[in-house]
Amino acid sequence: MPPQLARVLTTGIGIELIYSFVIIVASLMVYYGTRELYELSSHKGIKYFRQAFLFFAIAYSIRFFIKFILVYANKRQIIHLIPNPVGAIILFIFIYASAMAIFSLVYSLKWKKWRSFGMTVLHILAGVIALIAVFVQEGPIVYLLLNFVLFGFIIYSVSVAYKNRKKKNTWYLIYLLLSVFWLLNIVDILIPDFIQPFQFFIYLASLGAFLIVFYKVLRKSN
Amino acid sequence: MAKRGKLEIIRDILKIVQENHSIKPTPLLRRSNLSSSRFKEYFAEITEKKFLKKIDGKIFLTEKGAKFIEKYKTILNFIDEFEL
Repeated sequence: MPPQLARVLTTGIGIELIYSFVIIVASLMVYYGTRELYELSSHKGIKYFRQAFLFFAIAYSIRFFIKFILVYANKRQIIHLIPNPVGAIILFIFIYASAMAIFSLVYSLKWKKWRSFGMTVLHILAGVIALIAVFVQEGPIVYLLLNFVLFGFIIYSVSVAYKNRKKKNTWYLIYLLLSVFWLLNIVDILIPDFIQPFQFFIYLASLGAFLIVFYKVLRKSN
Repeated sequence: MAKRGKLEIIRDILKIVQENHSIKPTPLLRRSNLSSSRFKEYFAEITEKKFLKKIDGKIFLTEKGAKFIEKYKTILNFIDEFEL
């Protein structure tokens, strides 16, 4: 067995694989489970809601791939892969898909109010965030700053949506948790060891949030 | 009477066609309680989505249209549940 592969198999990548697999499958089932409702209604809220989970599936797939490559190539940080153009492209797609997952989820709640600027602005913003992550290689500080900007965006948008909510429900809290734990998953990729002591708890909480949405979507879409 | 939403208007038009099995455009316009311009707008959208088909000047409900009527409540519940 090649030494790189032996290293991969002994570094807990199995847990990463199961964790990523469950979230990717749950996200894709939310996406495909709501296809008929969207095709019949063409409702914009459903469109962006589905889109968010497609981006989550893409981002979690790339996240697992990055974890695998880091262990296989015996690198500590994604930044060490960046001189390689493939590493830069993978990081760009990962950050872009991550930002778009959060933007789409928030936009699905706010699309009636934000109709004027549409999703194009958010696509551009996600692209700019991804470019900053790739080209400004200052390491942890820039990465933390980017996550802090996304965190601020989530807190602001969800709190505004919460104030204007039509009825009492817990979705805003679940969306908030889903997004915050996803940001911590991004930090885990960008800054190794940063969340290490809480990693198991973060994985469990992320799984919980995704499975709650998955269960509710399945129940409500049939 | 509360203003009807887009999905409700589409459901109402499809229901009229379903109840009549087939119907001509003018009575459909009259029974839909819409202005002529709004009816044209909705009718174009509904036929583009293949919920209705026109054969020999008469309008029929398609299988997809019947599916919309069947799933209408589920769609509304879903939008309401997730506040979309």
